[in-house]
Amino acid sequence: MNEFIPVIGLEIHVQLATKSKMFCSCSTDYIGVKPNSHVCPICLGLPGSLPMINEKAIMYAIRTALAMRCKVNTRTIFHRKHYFYPDLPKAYQISQYDLPLAVDGCLEVSDDDGKTQRIRIQRLHLEEDAGKLVHSTASGRLMGAEYSLVDCNRAGVPLMEIVTHPDIASAKQAREFVSRLRQLVRYLGVSDGDMEAGSLRVDANISIMEPGCEYGEKVEVKNMNSLRALERALEYEYERQKEAKKEGKAIVSETRHWDDGSNITISSRSKEEAEDYRYFPDPDLPPLVVDERVIVQLCKGLPELPWEVLGRFMSDYGLSSDEAEVLTERRDVALLMDELVKEGASIKVASNWIRTEILRVLNERGISAEDLPVQTSEIAGLLLLVDRGDLSTTAAKEVFNLMLEKSINVEEAVKILGLSTGKLTGPELEAVIDKVLSENSDVVEEIRAGKDKKGKKIKFLQGIVMRETKGQADPKEVQSFIMSKI
Amino acid sequence: MKNSKFLKFSAFDLMSGYSKGEFIVSDVIETVLEYIEINERNLNALITPMYEEARSRAWMLDAALARGEDLGPLFGVPVVIKDNITTDGVRTTCGSRMLENWIPPFSAHVVRCLERAGAVVIGKANMDEFAMGSSTEYSAFGPTLNPWDLSKVPGGSSGGSAASVAAGYAPIALGSDTGGSIRQPAAFCGVYGLKPTYGLVSRYGLVAFASSLDQIGPFARDLKDLALVLQIISEPDDCDATCVRKERPNYLEFLNESSLEGFKVGYLSDYKSLEIDEEVKKAVTEALKICQDAGAEIIEVELPISARYGLPCYYTIAPAEASSSLARFDGVRYGFSVEAEDLQELYQKSRGGGFGPEVKRRILIGTFVLSSSGYETYYLQAQKARQLVVKEFDEVFLKADVLLLPATPTLPFKRGEKILDPVKVYMADLFTIPVNLAGLPGLSMKVSSSSSGLPVGIQLVSKKFCEGDILKTASIIERAVGPATTIMGGDRK
Repeated sequence: MNEFIPVIGLEIHVQLATKSKMFCSCSTDYIGVKPNSHVCPICLGLPGSLPMINEKAIMYAIRTALAMRCKVNTRTIFHRKHYFYPDLPKAYQISQYDLPLAVDGCLEVSDDDGKTQRIRIQRLHLEEDAGKLVHSTASGRLMGAEYSLVDCNRAGVPLMEIVTHPDIASAKQAREFVSRLRQLVRYLGVSDGDMEAGSLRVDANISIMEPGCEYGEKVEVKNMNSLRALERALEYEYERQKEAKKEGKAIVSETRHWDDGSNITISSRSKEEAEDYRYFPDPDLPPLVVDERVIVQLCKGLPELPWEVLGRFMSDYGLSSDEAEVLTERRDVALLMDELVKEGASIKVASNWIRTEILRVLNERGISAEDLPVQTSEIAGLLLLVDRGDLSTTAAKEVFNLMLEKSINVEEAVKILGLSTGKLTGPELEAVIDKVLSENSDVVEEIRAGKDKKGKKIKFLQGIVMRETKGQADPKEVQSFIMSKI
Repeated sequence: MKNSKFLKFSAFDLMSGYSKGEFIVSDVIETVLEYIEINERNLNALITPMYEEARSRAWMLDAALARGEDLGPLFGVPVVIKDNITTDGVRTTCGSRMLENWIPPFSAHVVRCLERAGAVVIGKANMDEFAMGSSTEYSAFGPTLNPWDLSKVPGGSSGGSAASVAAGYAPIALGSDTGGSIRQPAAFCGVYGLKPTYGLVSRYGLVAFASSLDQIGPFARDLKDLALVLQIISEPDDCDATCVRKERPNYLEFLNESSLEGFKVGYLSDYKSLEIDEEVKKAVTEALKICQDAGAEIIEVELPISARYGLPCYYTIAPAEASSSLARFDGVRYGFSVEAEDLQELYQKSRGGGFGPEVKRRILIGTFVLSSSGYETYYLQAQKARQLVVKEFDEVFLKADVLLLPATPTLPFKRGEKILDPVKVYMADLFTIPVNLAGLPGLSMKVSSSSSGLPVGIQLVSKKFCEGDILKTASIIERAVGPATTIMGGDRK
């Protein structure tokens, strides 16, 4: 029997990081905010209110489209999509239909072997988010709720919907795609791309086919709130469909929900009872005409994109792809790398330092590199000392921590810690070594008696000296001093 | 009734009296309110008279008057607002059970404009539910009667606004016009009613019936008042994406011309099989004669496409948009709501109980024509027909400057006469609907009285944003036939 291959297409909703909503001037903050406090007649859909397009959202969406090499439509139309639900104030969502903002782009993903695969983007369009229902049950689920309340703070928040062609061939690749897209929107600063918080939501269409045969019935999988959930849901769905096919059962075209607790997908709606959304052009919004010159400007204004930075770090800095990957994962970090190098830090030291110390601090504090309380030039200065061997890595970490803690420069931190940035060498070093040797005369005797065949005891003494000198001695010099004295 | 002269005053008369110190705002408002209280028992032109609000506003304005402050261009002028135009803190029902107790938290752009100009809103006018109807009989608050003849309808859907101005409640009222809802009641009530070019007046705060056709416009008994109100409410607005930003001309200036020399007035020489009342035809002929005497060239035009496709096109597009605009009334957040076991039942009972028969009829039609089975056959075809209507008018206006047409095919009809036959009611909009489809401005005005003593009106239509041409023509006709008059209880036949 032939092996089945999965055919996957994604629909991704990205909440845009604009200050105000898609069609009104209400704040887009809705997490941890008093219910229905960021609302107005427009996002509440009150009779008589009219929408006005948020230009910033258009700009953000065009930037994303351009980064994915989409064709931006200079004339685009907003449609009304109708369905009744209590979280949808107007009982229609302003969305786009047959003339979306952009079409025909692509985003490349690479697999484990480093081979790249091009995933085609079918369309990118803008729409408004719905509100949220708060159910009275302890679990927050609708089932069994005595009552439900509507919070419209999220209603009208701009959403960018990105639809791919069914070019994705595995659950892993789907995960990689979303991860790339998330990285892109973060680079562009158009969204925080937080899947857990719901600012990036993925619906997947998956079917299976035997090579050379026609596409199978497709199933839509929803409710995956992390990259891991996405991958697992698609793996599960692939296996489920494969088993069904092997048992000769038909695959039903339906919507299924991923249940993160039990790790299965559950059927929620058959496509046969699919709703008729009665799309038609919103008569309150004239067709949106985007000036070609604006598109050119936005194109010129695009930042260096993640894959471009990655390539440059490998070719210009000579970094391995693994190193470059880590350094370019976040734009703020990649920018810091460039700045440190510009300030004179060595590529090697800067790369190591960022991947260990800086990322640790950024993750611990949940901040971006721009928010570090020390100047980049100071960090570069610190790395220079490490590079010249004036400070050991251990000492440098202490210095760095103090710099962060007190927002002070390198010089001050070194002084407070009682370090000197010069090397401890010559007679000064010799004095320390003499002290260590005399305090450990038993070990010295053993070495002299030839009992240190593996050189462990010499290393032991060396370690004590390094500790005594707070790492400011050159290990080679220490070793040669010890050898000559024994 | 003392001071009943106020009821016949134009806005300009009132403002001249205030500035000369002949009377104060409270004098006028008290008179008006007293008059309204008596007359409402018959007319039912207002859903919500605003006695308290109007009195306190009058006191406030009088205080400003006493302090010698700058008086706005509509200072102390009573106005009536159609009840589908929002008024902050005052219920806005749209003539529907659905919004019987809905109090909007904001005022429409036009209301803010009028209030900034010093106007006193004295009441919210009765109307056909959600502006769907031509007789104001489809109001959940009972029908409005025609002040000229209480057995007749005032037209609709802005029947309350038209009747208010005709009866002297206020020299000025606002209405809305989606397929003739200003012009037809203006003709039936013998007052001026203007539907401006689509996009001239902000729709912000107008509860949508069909957004691509709706437009707010003024009623008045005096053309100067009408032009002044148009000036005030057509202030550009950034809250309506369909409202154009371009500068508005000074509309009052168009009223000073005494000649139509070099001006071309088009008319329909042949109504084909259309049933037009002889008195209406006579009024059109009379008005044409006046224009000709003033130097205009009279030319024949044809509008075959509008005549043939106008109605079906409109009765596809308008219900389609209405089914969408009215979807929000679901009993969840505001408006009529019935307790139910589940969501489906909540929707069914709330919408089933809150909407009246005509609204339901149009929602059903609209839902069907937008559905996947009706979209191409009906909605898209109607859009194509609409483009043809637009093109037809474009071509006609290459030849003519204004068109002089009937406003309605008939004189005011009897109450209850047509309500049972929707298609007959739809026919009442035959001459007004194509104007909305093309987004053109149209004015109706009284030209004569019928043998039965009812007003007979005509309609003037011009190119987009050429309200000036209409006003110019209308002022020539007004000079010949005189301004519209207040029809008070005693004057009634």
